[in-house]
Amino acid sequence: MKKLAAVMVMITGLCLIAGVGDFPNWGDPNSPANSYLSTYYLTNAISDTAVPNIVTAILADYRGYDTMFETVVVFVAGLGILFLLRGTKKKLGDHPTAFPSSSIVRTACRIMIPMMQLFALYVVAHGHHSPGGGFQGGVILGASVILLAISEGLSDGLKRITLKNTIKWSAIGVLIYSGIGTFSMLLGGNFLDYSAWAPILPATDAVMARSHGMLGVEIGVALTVMTVMFSIYADLASHGQMDEGL
Amino acid sequence: MNIAAQLPVIVLVLPLLSAFAVTLVSLFNKKLAWPLTVLTMTATFLATTGTLCSVIHNGAIRYRVANWAPPFGIELVIDHLSALVAVVISIVALLVAIFAKETIQKDIPNRVGQFYTLFILCTVGLLGETLTGDAFNLYVLIEITSLTSYALLAFGGSRAYFSTFNYLILGTIGACLYLLGVGYLYIKTGSLNMIDIATLIPALSGSSAIFTAFILILVGLWIKMAFFPFHGWLPNAYTHATSTVSAFAAPLMTKVTVYMSIRLMYFVFGPDYAFSQFTGPVNIVWLAVIAILVGSYYALVQTDIKRMLTYIIIAEVGYMVGGMWLGNAIGLTGTIYHIAADAIMTACLFLALGSIAYKLGSTKISDMAGIFKKMPVTFCAFLVGAAGMIGIPPTAGFFSKWFLISGGIQAGQWAFVVALLVSSLVNAILFFRIIEVGFFGADDEDEHDAVVVQRNEAPLSMLLPTVTAAALVILLGLSTSKVTSLLIENIVGSLF
Repeated sequence: MKKLAAVMVMITGLCLIAGVGDFPNWGDPNSPANSYLSTYYLTNAISDTAVPNIVTAILADYRGYDTMFETVVVFVAGLGILFLLRGTKKKLGDHPTAFPSSSIVRTACRIMIPMMQLFALYVVAHGHHSPGGGFQGGVILGASVILLAISEGLSDGLKRITLKNTIKWSAIGVLIYSGIGTFSMLLGGNFLDYSAWAPILPATDAVMARSHGMLGVEIGVALTVMTVMFSIYADLASHGQMDEGL
Repeated sequence: MNIAAQLPVIVLVLPLLSAFAVTLVSLFNKKLAWPLTVLTMTATFLATTGTLCSVIHNGAIRYRVANWAPPFGIELVIDHLSALVAVVISIVALLVAIFAKETIQKDIPNRVGQFYTLFILCTVGLLGETLTGDAFNLYVLIEITSLTSYALLAFGGSRAYFSTFNYLILGTIGACLYLLGVGYLYIKTGSLNMIDIATLIPALSGSSAIFTAFILILVGLWIKMAFFPFHGWLPNAYTHATSTVSAFAAPLMTKVTVYMSIRLMYFVFGPDYAFSQFTGPVNIVWLAVIAILVGSYYALVQTDIKRMLTYIIIAEVGYMVGGMWLGNAIGLTGTIYHIAADAIMTACLFLALGSIAYKLGSTKISDMAGIFKKMPVTFCAFLVGAAGMIGIPPTAGFFSKWFLISGGIQAGQWAFVVALLVSSLVNAILFFRIIEVGFFGADDEDEHDAVVVQRNEAPLSMLLPTVTAAALVILLGLSTSKVTSLLIENIVGSLF
């Protein structure tokens, strides 16, 4: 069976290699991927959205509908793991409940965690001007909480972000994203058309409103990603028991 | 806000927002989760029906999300085909949402809110897959339906974990192949918008990369729809899941994937491209014939009704893929009609079986003795679904078989015609076996003691959707000419 699988993989691989035969050259500026849509984005992103980071402009505005559903995917992943693991009552083997405490680790983490969180906020807030954004910032925020849970024990982390709160805030995060989109609809635009927000935001034209809208959805993404990161960690680290364990 | 203009996106946004509302509300009061879900599904059903009416009156709708012009932003495309499938999804979702109340309360009392959230999000994913006009957006929505369905299906005990893990691995491979195919398309065309790609493909028809993309996308979707020989994950995953979840997944997952493959094959690559690649001995219809025969054979040897139904699904997928590849208008009509018919029939059977399992605690054929006396209404609904699967007029199943067989004759695919007839015959044997036990196989003790068997119907919240589904099977059959003339002819006419 293994040999058969190996042969199948080889054949598939050969077919795939044959299939790339008429790909455009690597980095060819005239290839369709580099000349068709990309040219439009490169020339118009700033005048359309006032966002210098074109990646963010595409991610959160031109294709913001995709990104909203990607955030839903993150939410579903967290909720799904919670849904399945929380039910298992039986312990899967022994895991150490008493947490070995080391003052070196704890002191180092105590210094690192606030720095990480501050940097994460910068990454979220500056995502539409420089590399970064909601997903990246959310992951750093989530990592800082996980680091807290590692250094001080899971129960300490759960004291700060309870299970109920992880569910609540991950849902609120996606709700912020889809809510901003829905509100543009109520203001007379299409779904996720942030420019419809211009009349109600102070000193903002339709182009600037898109930039602000992107910041808004990035915050929603960051909230969801942070809480889901921590919730998945807590679920897996404790086999769904949410007790001490690591 | 102009509701009529925003209706296509409201279909999606409404359940999406309320999924999170259900999460938040159920943190405080679990009892509200079910009414809120039913309310959401009713509203979604009204919205999809409204969209369908608007499409019938004013033609296809193209909705620009975030107001960007099509190839640069994402657009939703609602034509007659996607509107029909969206209505079918919302009907089944509404029926299952009503049905869910008792079983979920019984199975997972402390995680009701999470269940309904996942359930609504899965529906959002399915609706999104139907309405989208963007090849990459389709992938994102496939991810949502897959992830939610993994979580939902796994919820049925330790065996369900294992069989869903199997599904997770195969399903992920399928989704990856699809994504890889879209990547190839993007490299060659530079676009992700389906309508835009369709205009660029004819100039690239000799390209080996486009051919690879075509194969990757087809095979990826075949894995997701459990088309032979990629059907291995389906029977276990659907059998071990709780009855509510299988009543939701079985009618919709495979059918919506068939819809996606029609969308990509006929509307992105185009029939000319698709059929020029497979001529002569290499023919997908033959694979469909094998799928139908294998599915029917395995259905025949099962002793558990739920497991038997899962193998019938595999045969039904063979019907639809075969009809799609016959290459004539009537075959494609049969496939599109069968998406709706099969979804409703499968829902009817699984809902009836779920009610029986709820009362009896078993789905084995041997335990069905005297079921007609115990649960006459439920069993009659089951019989209507069974009649549909066999293809007895005037159920919807008769008409889809009629279209498919006519298409097979027209295309000269005699093997396909024979396979369809054999499969109908096998279905007849299967269901008559159950009918025999259900009507006449009364328990021995009862006969000796001459005790009148107590009527013991499932609660109203389960009976209502089951009976509605059975009524829809007949109603759809009776309105076949309307469905074809108003909806399907519009789609098929533009292709052939």
